[in-house]
Amino acid sequence: MFDGTPDMLARLIEPGRVHRSVYTDPDIFELEMERIFGRTWIFVGHDSQIPNEGDYITTDIGRHPVILIRHRDGEPRVLLNRCAHRGPKVCMEERGNAKSLVCLYHGWAYDTDGSLIDVTMPEGTAKNFDKSGFGLKKVARIGRYRGFIFASLADEGPSFDEFLGPMKANIDDLVDRAPDGEILLDAGQHRYFFRGNWKLQVENVLDSYHVPFSHASTVNRKGEQFSRREGDDTGAKVIDEAKEKKKGDATSDAWKGRRSYVVDYGHGWTSNTQLNDKGRTSPAFDAYVKSLSDAVGAERAKEILTPEFHNSLLYPNTSIMGLNIHIRVIRPVAVDLTEVTIYPVRLKGAPDEMNYGNIRLLNVTHSAASFVQTDDLESFRRTQQGLASEKSEWVDISRGLGEEQADNHYNADMESAMHEMAIRAQYKAWLRYMSEEAA
Amino acid sequence: MDGDAFKTPAPAAPGGVKGIDREPFELFLIHEGRLLDERRFEEWMELFTEDGHYWVPSTPDQESPYQTASLFFDDRQLMKTRVDRLRHPRIHIQTPPSRTMHMISNVVVDDIGGAATEYRISSSVLMGEYRLDVQRFFAGRQYHTLIKHGDSFRIKLKRVNLINCDSAFEAMALPI
Repeated sequence: MFDGTPDMLARLIEPGRVHRSVYTDPDIFELEMERIFGRTWIFVGHDSQIPNEGDYITTDIGRHPVILIRHRDGEPRVLLNRCAHRGPKVCMEERGNAKSLVCLYHGWAYDTDGSLIDVTMPEGTAKNFDKSGFGLKKVARIGRYRGFIFASLADEGPSFDEFLGPMKANIDDLVDRAPDGEILLDAGQHRYFFRGNWKLQVENVLDSYHVPFSHASTVNRKGEQFSRREGDDTGAKVIDEAKEKKKGDATSDAWKGRRSYVVDYGHGWTSNTQLNDKGRTSPAFDAYVKSLSDAVGAERAKEILTPEFHNSLLYPNTSIMGLNIHIRVIRPVAVDLTEVTIYPVRLKGAPDEMNYGNIRLLNVTHSAASFVQTDDLESFRRTQQGLASEKSEWVDISRGLGEEQADNHYNADMESAMHEMAIRAQYKAWLRYMSEEAA
Repeated sequence: MDGDAFKTPAPAAPGGVKGIDREPFELFLIHEGRLLDERRFEEWMELFTEDGHYWVPSTPDQESPYQTASLFFDDRQLMKTRVDRLRHPRIHIQTPPSRTMHMISNVVVDDIGGAATEYRISSSVLMGEYRLDVQRFFAGRQYHTLIKHGDSFRIKLKRVNLINCDSAFEAMALPI
């Protein structure tokens, strides 16, 4: 039986394969909640979701419900959403504004920094009752970068700066696209769930190998996907049918040229999708280019508009998508149940029409009823079903094993994105997190 | 279409417009649901005007399909991409295909446009879907803007307000 010792854990992860129980064993899931989601830096929200004092949103860190709220001093707080008295969740709304947070059960009231300000019928409190010991529990640490707010439930551990490391560039790549240098996550959200382990969606984020086959239903007769960016008249060339007839491999060369990169902590990204950047034009896009050039200069605007990254993953559960711009947060619910939230990104300072275009195209690719995401969700569900069998113990992630190269430009490891290096890097980080004993 | 066109209309009077026969509208909506249930997607798409839209918001009382994410917001071009994909042999989310049942009721003629060629119809919709051992239901109120077309209608806008529009959904392949 699984006992959680480092020796036992190490036997689950081999250089090119992962044991099936990593996806199916409830005890391993419990340990992930403690040692990964209970310790590392998890995305909890964005400044633009709580612009004013008293604004809050509710979310989760692993399975801990939390409130992200802006206090009177202008700084965000991350508080456990659990009354210090008898335990109910205090905030039930997804978002709101409050002067104080009042528990429904006995009316205990908390300030927006979590401190207990009022106990109903105070004459009944115990003689030595000390209000200062009964606030909403503060989450240990908060880390912020360009509007992104992360939190860690652990008092100690790597700093947010250390955790984020070179991935700042991936956040910059998105945020710099806004003429005002800020993004806004205020255009609603897409929410879906699947009956599978959370890591299936995490792996998929940097898995380009699945695209030509799995998403074949999204390409037309010319092997091109539908247009996914404002100003494009067609999407990426994914399949080359003429070549398939000759060699039996339909994947286009453009697609095969894509690279993946990994850095520490399981983070990584894939290089951009080859699209016709020179021919990209529409009234909305052209107006956007002008607004960006006015703000940062034509030369810098050109740099910003030359895409570098396709998908970026901040392990364990946050992804930044550079093509259909969005932030994706993957929330483990149970070993075989996962919920995903996708936030469309608005570029502050860009013309409304440009932001409308981004929001619209994201419906097409990543809503629960979208053309792309639905086939992935079906893959995750079937994988979880297949992995239920104990008669086949291993999941193979060996594509390109041993072909990793050092990339000096990014100071990262690089490989073809059609390989599985990024997934191997995730399990290296997984094993490191999981093998750390109780802090 | 401008912003106001997308707003959910309030009924002009209790029970809607007086003295109008609901039957042609009701039969049209039943026909529309039946085309979807029978997987006659191309015919369903043809019910929409060339500038028609199909919209399922993701938030209650959503005012705009442009400013906020939506479950569906298809113009005719996107509808065609969607329908083509539904016919693709490698659409995994429809392998095997879903079976669906549309139930349409509580049909009300909310409003009639100036020249009596544009009608705003609201109705309750319940769609049952069965696939791979899972049965689920989508419930809501739908709002059709219908244009007179010969002795039938064309859909200028179909908006479906699902009662759980802001919940997390398991993957959806088929229009409501």
